[in-house]
Amino acid sequence: MTQTRSRRAGPDPSGLYLPRTARVVRAENLTRQDRLIEIALPEGQALGHRPGQFVQVSLLGYGEAPISVSSGPQQTGSFELCVRRLGNVTTALHALQPGDPVGIRGPFGNGFPMDHLVGRDCLVVAGGIGLAPLRSVIHSILARRERYGRLIVLHGARREEDILFRDEIAEWQQDPRNEVLLTVDEPTPGWKGRVGVITTLFPEIEVDPANLVVVAMVGPPVMYRFVILELRGLGIKNDQMFMSLERRMKCGVGKCGHCQIDGRCVCVDGPVFSGTEIMAMHEAI
Amino acid sequence: MAPSALSAADVRSVLARAMESTAVLAPVRRGRSSFAFQWIADPAEAVFSYPRTILPPKQALLPPREDLFVFQRAPEPAVRPPAAPDPITLFGVHPCDLAAIGQLDWAMQERHGICDPNYAARRAHTTIIGLECLPDEYCFCPSVGTAHTRAGADLFLTPVGEEFVAEALTEKGEALLASAGEKRAPSAEARDTWEHWAEDKESRVSRRLKAQPKELPDLLEAEYESEVWEATAARCYSCGTCTSVCPTCFCFDVEDVVEVGLASGARRRQYDSCQFLEFASVAGGHNFRGERPDRVRHRWFRKFVHLNREYGDAFCVGCGRCTKFCTADIGLVEVLNSIVEASE
Ligand SMILES: Cc1cc2nc3c(=O)[nH]c(=O)nc-3n(C[C@H](O)[C@H](O)[C@H](O)COP(=O)(O)OP(=O)(O)OC[C@H]3O[C@@H](n4cnc5c(N)ncnc54)[C@H](O)[C@@H]3O)c2cc1C
Ligand code: SF4
Ligand code: SF4
Ligand code: FES
Repeated sequence: MTQTRSRRAGPDPSGLYLPRTARVVRAENLTRQDRLIEIALPEGQALGHRPGQFVQVSLLGYGEAPISVSSGPQQTGSFELCVRRLGNVTTALHALQPGDPVGIRGPFGNGFPMDHLVGRDCLVVAGGIGLAPLRSVIHSILARRERYGRLIVLHGARREEDILFRDEIAEWQQDPRNEVLLTVDEPTPGWKGRVGVITTLFPEIEVDPANLVVVAMVGPPVMYRFVILELRGLGIKNDQMFMSLERRMKCGVGKCGHCQIDGRCVCVDGPVFSGTEIMAMHEAI
Repeated sequence: MAPSALSAADVRSVLARAMESTAVLAPVRRGRSSFAFQWIADPAEAVFSYPRTILPPKQALLPPREDLFVFQRAPEPAVRPPAAPDPITLFGVHPCDLAAIGQLDWAMQERHGICDPNYAARRAHTTIIGLECLPDEYCFCPSVGTAHTRAGADLFLTPVGEEFVAEALTEKGEALLASAGEKRAPSAEARDTWEHWAEDKESRVSRRLKAQPKELPDLLEAEYESEVWEATAARCYSCGTCTSVCPTCFCFDVEDVVEVGLASGARRRQYDSCQFLEFASVAGGHNFRGERPDRVRHRWFRKFVHLNREYGDAFCVGCGRCTKFCTADIGLVEVLNSIVEASE
């Protein structure tokens, strides 16, 4: 770890906790609990994010929540968030309508190592709302499809109606270089896909472990452990896996202490960590 | 700058000078043997000798509760930074608390290269008058190298007999000193006491850490699974007193508060504690430190492993507050020493 004692403070910090007042451009329910919200910053400002980064979204009087940017960096003029309704802030965010103001800070965090993906196959492992940040990676790949190899997406949801971005998934599947495999925990009548947790999809894919990068976000820590075991089984090394971790966050800028895993700040050093980093930490998964 | 002598009356006139242009936070007697840092209205309120306050002077720089910004919700949403803070003087800051302010400066202004604007605004207009002290049974400042800290103080006072030896360490300190009138050299006797203060102070400390701060990261990591965490957790109440009295703890929670009428409000931060059950819980039910031993270990690891590595020194100044005020009589040094002993 580096000694940062003498490092200088950044540029004018006065805006650190002040959100920019952005506007909702479009909002639509994707599932009964997930809402896609398209947002434009004031005066046409660009967000300038990398896939895997997040913003602190706030509604004055309700509070703030960290939410991953779900659109790709190629989309300019606006960006998208996919918000699952879980508590105070996320419920208030679900009530947003086009034209409504919304506070934005960020983007924050490191993001996925997109350069590392160039020329390689990409395996996306997305449990539930984990598809939100990974969609940004997918959009980035699709925008410059020729730079990348195969794109394999594994997505697990509780029920068929909880599967995110179904229309887009159908589009992704039009291209023979892309593959999408879906599974649900609770099958409803008519469901023809797989049943079970996301790891049930692994035996169905064939990958070239030497030329593959995995990006994943899968939910509770135990799921990460299972996924890592499966990936190892496929011959994939720790330094080829990049996982986005979730922690409680209050500041997003390395001050409040909530997001710490061992010696790392998820909001600044993460949220994306390599398998090697994750295995070296006690508290990660 | 050669030290000069001040009488108690001189110190009060220095305080009076400081009060002309700044608010002054000083140790004040609260009970027979209890003292607290308070904003004073009269230099006579300040005491010149006190063992330790419950809350450190940190409250002036990182208040227990403060607005990050204020907002209005209607007719149009608008946010505004809080009003610029008034200049302040901290009087009577012991060397350990001076060292703690240095650590907070790093955490709030430099860590990750990110500067906290609210802290920085206060800190930029802060004058500090340090005060030498003698340790009691809870102090272990020599073990963490903070016993003789002067850095951070503009003016530093050492009480010798009825008098004080004053060292001006900055221009601000010089100016304050000048307000006490013509400079006087300390008597030979006072000078002698002053010169031997450090030795005398060290010799009075009984609590000792059995390792160097630099050795702690590896020592503790090797004992990650130690029974000490379970045993300590079995006594701990997760009350958070230890972190709320600590001069180097800086974790906080943030929430929005809305005025009656709902039109305006503030985004407010307040001290939080890693010892509280919900500190690392996320929506949807998962708690990353849901078990008490995990939270107990986290406190020691954060101070003596992680921030120790990142900052380059233990994130503890040996003030003894967490131990003296612990609801369960848990000793910070005792826990560390049992880890050190286990690894021997
Ligand atoms: C880096 C990152 C990216 C995320 N991306 C997304 C996303 O794209 N879509 C999505 O739906 N959700 C995402 N989340 C989770 C989302 O932040 C939480 O669901 C949300 O904060 C819950 O807030 P609430 O007020 O609705 O819930 P409540 O249960 O009312 O929250 C109570 C308090 O706990 C805090 N809190 C609870 N859970 C979390 C949490 N997981 N992270 C931080 N603070 C929490 C809140 O700040 C709040 O103050 C992400 C979390 C992180 C850390
Ligand atoms: S003050 Fe003592 S009892 Fe309370 S949380 Fe700290 S260690 Fe536990
Ligand atoms: S950990 Fe305890 S002894 Fe160390 S600075 Fe904090 S309160 Fe003082
Ligand atoms: S969210 Fe506050 S330190 Fe990471």
